[in-house]
Amino acid sequence: MPLTLTPDQAAFLQGTLSMNVGAVGRDGWPCVTRAQGISVARDRRSLTVLLSAARGQAVLDALAAGSGITLVASRPLTHATLQLKAARTGRVPVTAALRATSARCVAAFGAELASLGYGDAVTALAAILSTDTLAALRIVPDIVFDQTPGPQAGTVLARA
Amino acid sequence: MKLTLEAIRACLDGGLPSVVATCAPDGTPNVAYASQVHYVDGEHVALSFQFFSKTRENVLAYPYAQVQVIEPASFRHFRLRVRYLRTETAGPLFEYMKAQLAGIATHSGMDKVFVLRGADIYRVLDIECADPHVPAAAPPPDALIALRRTLDHLGACDDLAQLADRALAALSYGFGIRHALLALLDTQPDNAGPGKTGPADGALYTLASLGYPTSGVGAEVALGEGLIGVAARERMPVRINHRTGDYTYQAALRVADAAAARIPLPVLADAHSQIAVPLVHGARLFGVLYAESEQDAFFGHADEDALVVYGRHVGALMARLAALPDDETAVPAPAVRAPRGTPLAVRYFAHDHSVFVDNDYLIKGVAGSILWTLLNEHAANGRRDFCNRELRRDPRLPLPDFGDNLETRLILLQRRLAERCPQIALEKTGRGRFRLDVTRPLALSTN
Repeated sequence: MPLTLTPDQAAFLQGTLSMNVGAVGRDGWPCVTRAQGISVARDRRSLTVLLSAARGQAVLDALAAGSGITLVASRPLTHATLQLKAARTGRVPVTAALRATSARCVAAFGAELASLGYGDAVTALAAILSTDTLAALRIVPDIVFDQTPGPQAGTVLARA
Repeated sequence: MKLTLEAIRACLDGGLPSVVATCAPDGTPNVAYASQVHYVDGEHVALSFQFFSKTRENVLAYPYAQVQVIEPASFRHFRLRVRYLRTETAGPLFEYMKAQLAGIATHSGMDKVFVLRGADIYRVLDIECADPHVPAAAPPPDALIALRRTLDHLGACDDLAQLADRALAALSYGFGIRHALLALLDTQPDNAGPGKTGPADGALYTLASLGYPTSGVGAEVALGEGLIGVAARERMPVRINHRTGDYTYQAALRVADAAAARIPLPVLADAHSQIAVPLVHGARLFGVLYAESEQDAFFGHADEDALVVYGRHVGALMARLAALPDDETAVPAPAVRAPRGTPLAVRYFAHDHSVFVDNDYLIKGVAGSILWTLLNEHAANGRRDFCNRELRRDPRLPLPDFGDNLETRLILLQRRLAERCPQIALEKTGRGRFRLDVTRPLALSTN
């Protein structure tokens, strides 16, 4: 039975987050890249993750070769963290709406970092996480973990 | 040009969270945040092991991982391909990471959550910059220039008291350090001697300080406790870049005997950056130089390197001063007036050699024992002039046969008296010689 994210999880994933996606390359090396936006589907059974194709080429290559995907999303202010895993993922077209989602997520992330004392974050992140070479990945999660730091990290919250 | 770990050390100070990607035996990727990615040397980093996590399970089964770190000032991301080697659960690296983690934990609001179980050592196989088009951060102030400027101000020193004061004052010129102290090791008789490079236990005593409302001279730090004690015990520098809520590393560093009378350390109540470096010469540890700041990340990796070199230089100067012979004669004594006024009540407690004057704690330990001996000699036959050589031979003093730090104890005593009991003074009358000046009558008693 497919996994359905809770409304709280969906809201969290579309909030102010630091996010990274990982995969395993054909050569067996794990790889990771920063993601820059999440859009949860209306039925909460899938989500679209946005990342820079230029910065994340190794991850995209690994996914194209059949690797599973891991997404870790954390709120800088609270450290509340979710991890989602899926056996398969697929590229989808980058729409104007997704591009706007990415711009909003990057701006929110930068503003939160600035509020935490990293004053140059807004400008720097806009340069690093530009929307020029966005790639969009559709993920149907198989499992969701609580990854908030602490002994409970790794607790399974939902499973397909 | 191939990237080196040295070139990205700013990423390895716990400023912005790092992530680590690993692979499960079935090929499933895992990504997790790493509280601490610590620079070990040019080829290795250490990750903090705090919980039995999926990351740890994965690397124990399949040791290859990728770590993503961020340069705080530029936000450039770097990816390190690493191979897990081993876990250390004790020793200098573990202690350093434990202290740093305490700072990171408080900085990130995770005081109660972050507890170091081990330091996972990884060999770095490759480093990639994920953002080659983004300009690098401006380089930090040149620590080598700061060191040179500091040494210029330190100059040559004729005695230990002068060296201690100038070693601290010079830091403000070179590194802009406004708060610092020197704590010198009190060698224990059972552990000192040829072939024994240091005590297994013992304490450090504050000999001089810079930039505090009270000097804290005589304040004690137990070996292995707090940043100063850990730096001494492990003979390594320890640097914390953020304010720590962990009491172990806070200002209220614990003393060897919490129930005993003590002098508080004069450190900042809310330090955001702290560094402690050992003062060593060869195998001998003389003490620890401690500096702190109200600013986050005040001390960088390069500052740590430079201060370690400075600590060795000061250690070498201390060794040179300790090896100089005593003067044969003292400077002539001026005429003195007989002590006048109400007698000072000086009470001695033999069990810990503590001395109280008019019921106020003055000093204890070997320094207390020295003072008591001098005052009794003065009371018995009016003697004022003394030399270090006779104190070393005096069976009443609990001095070790080797590495007695007598000069340190005398400076400590001299400064404590100047602060708390100026009616009794020790005046230096030559190398290894000093004079006792008493301006009030004394009423000596023991407990």
